[in-house]
Amino acid sequence: MYTRPLARLIDQLQRLPGIGPKTAQRLAFYLLKRPKQETLQLAQSLIDATEQIGVCRQCFTLSAEDPCDICSNPNRELSQVCVVAEPRDVIAMERTREYKGRYHVLGGLLSPMEGIGPEQLKVKELVQRVNRDEVGEVIMAINPSVEGETTILYVGKLLKPFTKVTRLASGLPMGGDLEYADEMTLARALEDRRELI
Amino acid sequence: MFVQSLHLTQFRNYLDQSITFEQPKLILVGDNAQGKSNFLEALQLLATGRSQRANRDRELIQQGSDQGRVLAQVERREGRVELELILRATGHRTARLNGVTQPRIGNLLGQLNTVFFSSWDLDLVRGNPQQRRSWLDGILVQLEPIYAQLSDQYQQVLHQRNSLLKQIPPVPDHELALWDEQLARHGTRVIRRRRRLLTRLAPLATHWQSVISGGNETLQLSYQSRIPDQGDDPLQIEQQFREQLAQKQAAERYQGLSLVGPHRDEVEFILGETPARLYGSQGQQRTLVLALKLAELELLEQVNQQPPLLLLDDVLAELDLKRQNQLLGTIGERVQTFVTTTHLGSFERGWLKSAQVYQVNAGSLQEVS
Repeated sequence: MYTRPLARLIDQLQRLPGIGPKTAQRLAFYLLKRPKQETLQLAQSLIDATEQIGVCRQCFTLSAEDPCDICSNPNRELSQVCVVAEPRDVIAMERTREYKGRYHVLGGLLSPMEGIGPEQLKVKELVQRVNRDEVGEVIMAINPSVEGETTILYVGKLLKPFTKVTRLASGLPMGGDLEYADEMTLARALEDRRELI
Repeated sequence: MFVQSLHLTQFRNYLDQSITFEQPKLILVGDNAQGKSNFLEALQLLATGRSQRANRDRELIQQGSDQGRVLAQVERREGRVELELILRATGHRTARLNGVTQPRIGNLLGQLNTVFFSSWDLDLVRGNPQQRRSWLDGILVQLEPIYAQLSDQYQQVLHQRNSLLKQIPPVPDHELALWDEQLARHGTRVIRRRRRLLTRLAPLATHWQSVISGGNETLQLSYQSRIPDQGDDPLQIEQQFREQLAQKQAAERYQGLSLVGPHRDEVEFILGETPARLYGSQGQQRTLVLALKLAELELLEQVNQQPPLLLLDDVLAELDLKRQNQLLGTIGERVQTFVTTTHLGSFERGWLKSAQVYQVNAGSLQEVS
């Protein structure tokens, strides 16, 4: 039906998350309709990104430089490490502009069903780092899913002999109305309630 | 509460069928496999998010379609709500409440309450433990909608832990211990809620048991679990849960399965001193099931301060006339009731009073005058 390179393009697009056959076809036609220069630029950025971006060998986030901008910034506290599951979580934390420490990306969460155990995560590296850099606090910024909780438990137990381990509080979203919070969040917030100071 | 109308689109064998209810009773008559039960199933789905008969949403959707829909207008004491559930072959669901898409399917729970009584339930006392567990869970999701999430989370931990137990070479103890802790934490939530439910149901069921049987044996509903019942303190239950896991570890590793927890728990019905499962004729066991269903109805009514719907799927003809009359006397015209049957002749005439009767034939309805 499609001329061969087009079929290949559609096939490749379809493999992207959230894109089905129809969207893939629409995207392919759109790309071919645009000025050739623009589409080539897109292709070039794909090549550049794939070739230039690697992993920071200290915190394992995605970065074109090694060490990454955050790890090489002398103004970021060496003694505070925020542990996240994926590189995109680093971005989420950075957006707050509140955190002045460093990061450590685990590269996933414990999930036996998907064959992810401690060996598949950058846990050993985290322990080494905590000892080497004399880290005073490790902050676990991980989703409170079943897998996330288990990972927090695991890393927490491992690091406890060496440093203080904390986790993000879970509870009500800021500016959110109590009546719109889902029951699970409310129940959770109730469980973790604190006395007014 | 009263369901005013139900609209099924590409649901089971219904292409596009809507029906308005004007009477407290709806009776659906027809041969087997014509689609009578599908109506009750649709209501059960809105009430509990689950179906007793389908394992996958694909089964609920009309063959050849990729999505189906159930929509109901429900008159509650607090006002009218429109419940809508869209089912897809992919398993992805969408829930709408008064036309507004909900962030979570669970938001639909608690809006419509049903007591589902099918011929399958007649085996509740003697049947397999799974049946009794899902009976409890089906009530709990309606009483405490958050239970649906707690139970899903427990299942998730259970699956993770089971695949860990199956791993070759065997996982080190410290890794399994993480999932032990999670299983105990999440399992405790499920156990406590189930025990609490049984405590509330027991006096109501005892009452109905003696009303129906005319006897005065006490009925106990006892939650059977490896984790001993020594009070409702969550920390203590978790502790006992972990102790049981430790005891069973060798067997669990050998079988590659989690052997301790609410997924293995059970309910025992004890009449007088004897487990009802062991003694009693079929008739006595049916009395007991009827008592349990009436207790369920009463509890839902107490908690919500309005009666739930009663869905009688192919079960009325299985009860003798005396029990049919007792049931009819209890529900009166207060409880909106849906009945499916193959013959109208098999039950008391009283059931036809204030009833709409429809003949169901291959996914189409025709009013019988």
